[in-house]
Parts: sequence; C-alpha cells; structure tokens
Amino acid sequence: MTSNQQNWPTLLCNNARSGGQVPQPWRAPRRVRWQIRLEGAVRGSPILDGELLYVPSLAGFLNAINIRTGRLQWKFKATAAIHSTPSLSLGQVLFGCDDGKVIAIDAASGTKCWEMASEDEVWTSPVIQDRTAFFGSADGNLYAVGTEAGAQQWKQMLGGRIYSTGHVVKGRIFVGCGDGNIYGMDAATGQVLWKTETGNGIDCSPALANDTVFIGSQDFVFYALDAGCGTVRWRYEAELGITSAPAISGELIVFGCKAGTLHALHIRTGKAIWKSRIGQTIMAPPVISGSVVWIQAGDTFAVNLFDGRVLWKANLGNSVQSAPVVTEDVVYLASMEGEIYALE
Amino acid sequence: MDRRAFVKRSCLGGLALSLDHWGTSPAFDQDLIPPVPPIHVSEPVGTQVSPLRMPGLYPGRVVEISDARSIAANRVSQAVVREMLEQGMRELTEEKVLHRAWSKFIQPQDVVGIKINPSGAPACCSSPEIVREIITGVQSAGVPARNILVYDRYAYEMDIGSYQALVPKGVRVTGIQEGKLDTSGYDPNIFCEANFFGEWETRSYMANIVVSGVTKIINVPTMKDHSAAGVTGCLKNLGYGTFNNVDRSHRRPFSFTDPLIGIMCSVEPLRSKAVLHIMDGTRMVWHGGPLTQNQNFIFPAGLIMVGTDPVAIDTIELEKIEAKRSKEGAPSVWARDPQSLTSDSAAFYQDAAKNFFYRQPHHIAAAGKLGLGVSERKLIEHKLVHIS
Repeated sequence: MTSNQQNWPTLLCNNARSGGQVPQPWRAPRRVRWQIRLEGAVRGSPILDGELLYVPSLAGFLNAINIRTGRLQWKFKATAAIHSTPSLSLGQVLFGCDDGKVIAIDAASGTKCWEMASEDEVWTSPVIQDRTAFFGSADGNLYAVGTEAGAQQWKQMLGGRIYSTGHVVKGRIFVGCGDGNIYGMDAATGQVLWKTETGNGIDCSPALANDTVFIGSQDFVFYALDAGCGTVRWRYEAELGITSAPAISGELIVFGCKAGTLHALHIRTGKAIWKSRIGQTIMAPPVISGSVVWIQAGDTFAVNLFDGRVLWKANLGNSVQSAPVVTEDVVYLASMEGEIYALE
Repeated sequence: MDRRAFVKRSCLGGLALSLDHWGTSPAFDQDLIPPVPPIHVSEPVGTQVSPLRMPGLYPGRVVEISDARSIAANRVSQAVVREMLEQGMRELTEEKVLHRAWSKFIQPQDVVGIKINPSGAPACCSSPEIVREIITGVQSAGVPARNILVYDRYAYEMDIGSYQALVPKGVRVTGIQEGKLDTSGYDPNIFCEANFFGEWETRSYMANIVVSGVTKIINVPTMKDHSAAGVTGCLKNLGYGTFNNVDRSHRRPFSFTDPLIGIMCSVEPLRSKAVLHIMDGTRMVWHGGPLTQNQNFIFPAGLIMVGTDPVAIDTIELEKIEAKRSKEGAPSVWARDPQSLTSDSAAFYQDAAKNFFYRQPHHIAAAGKLGLGVSERKLIEHKLVHIS
C-alpha cells in the first residue's frame, strides 16, 4: 500500500508546532503496518522526510527507517545518548546529544556533516530558520549556529539549564528555562528583550499565536504572555507541573499536565473548555490532527478535540515523552523501550 | 582484568533477623509466610571502612523539623524548606555555622551522590526544592557543582520528576539504568545472592555509581507506605536503589524485603559512603506506596527529618505512618490478615484496607541488628523543632 505521506521535518511537524493539522475525518487505526525494535530506549520524537522516518535512541543512534518496508536503512552512532528530537534542514538532520554535541548528518546517507559542542547535554530539539539552528543546552546557554558548517553565530547565557525547545518567529525566539523564567530574545543577536518569572523551573516548550506566547511551568501554571513585552495576559492553574508543550487549533490550546490530565483552554481567555483525565502522567506534547488529539501518556490515546472524549487507545509501550508523526493514513510512534510502530 | 579481591559472606542470620517478629505473627503460625532462604553477599576485600559509615556520627539521633508552610496547595516552598534544612543541619551537628555543619560529612575533594526517590513521581517524589537546598549545602562545603551527582535507579522515573531542568547548572543528573533489563550500570563482583521464589537470576548487583562514581552519598528518601516493605524510607531507598533486580524479593503475597533491605545496606562500600539522610516528609503517602498517584492517600505532613542513622529515622517514619493509618481507619502495616490481600490493582489503589503483600516493616529492626542503627524507640533521641 502506498503511503500518502507528508513531511514532518521537526518537532510537532513545523516551526509553528501545528502538528500537521491534517483535515481528515476520524477513523481508528485498524492494524499495524509494520513495527521494528531499535537498539536502546526512545525519549525523543520521530520526524519524517519522504520515505525516511528518523528516530533517535538513548543507545546513541540516529536511526533512519524506510517507511515503505519498515526496515532500517541506516543508523548513525553518536558519542552519547540522544534525547533530542531531530530537525531537518536542506538535506541534513540535526540533533543534540547527552555529551553536549549537536551533530548534523546527511539525511540520505547517514554520514556526519559537522558537529559543534556545548558544555552540557542537549535534550532540546534544534529549531531551524533561515540557515540558522537555535538550541538550548543544560550548560545554560542558548546557541545560534549556522546550518552549513555549525559555526557559532552567538550564544546567550540564561539563568538556568535549558530543556525547553525554543519557538522562533519574526526575528524573535521565546524559550523557557530551569531558572523559572520565560525569555523573549532577539534571534539575530541573542539579546534578552524581556523575561517573565514563574514559580518554578520550566522544561516545557512554548507555542505562539496571536502575538501571545503559551507555555507551562513546574509551578503548575500555564501562562499566556504578550510576545512583545512578556506581560502575563492570563494564567491557568493545573493540578501538577506542566512539561507537555501546547498544541493550538483555532480557538483551542491543548496541553497535558503531570497529573495525567489533558486540558483544552480558550486561546484568548484561558477559560477551560474541557479537561480529560487520560493517563497516569502526561509529559509529551499533544498532536492535533483534524478533530483528534493524539498523545502518548503511557498508553497511546486519540481524544476528541472538541470535548476531550477518548476515541481510541492502545497499550503501545509506555512512552510518556515522545510525540507521534500523524500523516493522512499512517501514525508513526515510538515506545519507551524502542519499539517503533506504523499504524494504519 | 579486575584486580580487586572479593569475599563472600553468608547472612545465615537472614531467618534469625526476622524470627523474633515472625514468631509472634499469626501468618507465621499458620504457615502463611515461607522461611527466609540463605542470603550470600559478595563484597570487596579491604574496603576502607569510613568512620562516617552508617549509623554515622550521630547514632540514634533524629532531628525532625516541621513547618506547615512548607507545602501549600501541593507545592513545596523553596524558602521554607531552606529554613527547615538549615535548622535541621544545625540541630543535628550542634554547629552554629552552617557550612561547618555540612563539612562534618563532606570535604571539598568529595564527589557527592544525592540519592533521590523519584519512584512515585509526579505525585510524591523527592522534592526538587529540597534537592536544590542540599546542593547549596554541599557547595558550601567546597564541592564544585560538577562533582555533585543527583541519581536514582531508573532514568525514566527521574525524567518524570523533571530533575534535569530543575537543578543548578553543572550538577549531573543520572539514572543507573534505562530499562528493566539494563545491567550495564552494575558491578558484576559485588552482589547479594538468594533464591527467593525460584527466579532464574538470583543475584542483585551493586551500581557502579556507588562503587566508584561517588565518594559520599546523601540519601533523600520520601515518607511512604510500601505495599511489600511496610514503609519505604532511608533503608529501602538506599538498598533497593543501589542494587538491581530487587523486585524479585516480593511475590504476592510474600515479601523478603525483611531482611534483604538491611543486608543490602550493610554491603560495602555503600555502608561507608552513605553519610547523611534527609527524609522529605513534606508529603506523606500513608497508603498505596510506593507508586500511588491517588491524592486521597497523600497527606501534606510538612516535615523534614535529618540524621545519620537510617534505622532511627525509619523507626520514626514508621510510627508516623502507623499513626496516620490508624487515624484514617486503615489497618496497621503490621497486620497479617489474609482477607486484606488482593491481586486487583484498582482495589489496592482505591482502598486503604487492601494490599498485595503481607507487609514487612520489621525490616527496620532487622537492619538495626546488622549494626546500621538504633530501632529501639526509647533509645532514639528524637529532637522536634516546630517552626510554624
């Protein structure tokens, strides 16, 4: 069966973190097209380009799986575990490693193009825009490097460790930090334009819409901030800390909290539209596709976008961090122990 | 080739350690609980025994600092636990100058492991706020951030606690193993061996981090009921968080956590390196431990206990959990009622009268008999400090 695939080159499909937003009627997966066991556990999310699905593993491999056959096309061995979700740019796959390196691999052949080193682990996903890759490191720096050779353009030291993947738009980058601050920065220079304090550290990745930055904190609060100055527009209190990056669809913003609850809020007011207790804990970002929210929260769930009702669930390997790739006819997802599934 | 020498010792007292309690247990009389098999230990010969080794500098002393403001709306207050921990360290050591209190246990050249308990994350795990204050204390003794390691057995449980993002820059955060079957982080020469239930792997190996990765350990357990061990506190967090393959010690409804927990804590170099215990009692799980996420069984106790004697701290912890269970109308953790047993997880996590095992809280006293500390209540110096 020919896959009607779309590309999914970075975390949650694109830099807008739209999750693809494929307009399609809901139907539950009917069968497993293929599955493959990788070497090592998986925490990051797969990405897709053409016929290759790229999956990082804690055994230190970046794996390229042919989606037609379900077989490994190549794998690249890095020098440390890979928690980072890769990103694609101009024929290269970029990802961070636990030894602080960011590595660029030729997407077709799996050979290394370049690498650069930060001082501590890089779990964030490189965000690529205009031939520049932006990523945060546990060393506390946010880096901007050229995607052609990895040359550093700037780095900016923030107040804590960085496990939040930045959001880049209109010359600005927004990122959360372990010091509890949300930062708005100039993407060309790294200059901090504003910062807004929350009540605890942040490992959630922001989303942006209507000139508003949306992000959760380990202080249990979900924030909507003015992207221009960082002023809090509204805040919403969840039951526990929030690591899950939000997904946006129309007037709804959806995220999970560690109590296992999925929350859907009105994007302008922060009022709860629905909340749905689905798993033991939620750390992964939801992916919205049509009228369905896909999320891995121990089991894998498909939830109705408009009322939070669980439409379908399957026990597929206990992942609580990885996000699926949702195409028109296949959902690709990774289990915690390294099993990769193509569901159709 | 590994040139270290190792020696095997047999804990033939495995049964004897438990017998005084089991002899009075109805379940034992009714032959409901099988006898403890022999437990053999392989440990390095000639390990330099530290004068700080458990029960440490202050045997029998438990400092309990309580402050109701330490937890509000399920959030731990960094400022309040800072004050609690500082006061606890001063009371324990009788040092007025804080960095001198920390320097009784930690020297600048040490590599310090902070052994947390993330197994109940996110609902109840070692609070990052307390871990951050411990890091500050260790740094005040002259240890650089790069020589401080926050660790536990399962990396994925640490991920759920978000410790990586929440500790200061430079501090390392490491899980000993990634999955249930990953043994790469363990020393094949240091182990506890016993055949409890006919399992195919009868050994539990000590983590390399403990053997050679750190020179001192600060143990940060939580205050929790445990379905197999009775409670999980200093001893269980240390023993079962250092050795692998420990689930095999309990098979429903039986549990050999008594005496295995204490025996594991007695193995060098673990015993010498664990110099300080700081129990996070901001939350108390009084039923459903160690993994429950049911907030009905999680109580904001608002306290921290500090000491060098894990047996004494766990004895006080057991007393507190027993008192809370009694107040809530739940059976004692000492109860041996076959009617309370269930194999239904939903029942266990919703009903405080149900349990998977005959709990074994006597593991604390058994550890005391191994010389790890004081379990006789009247010999424990329990210093209580109420801040607010």
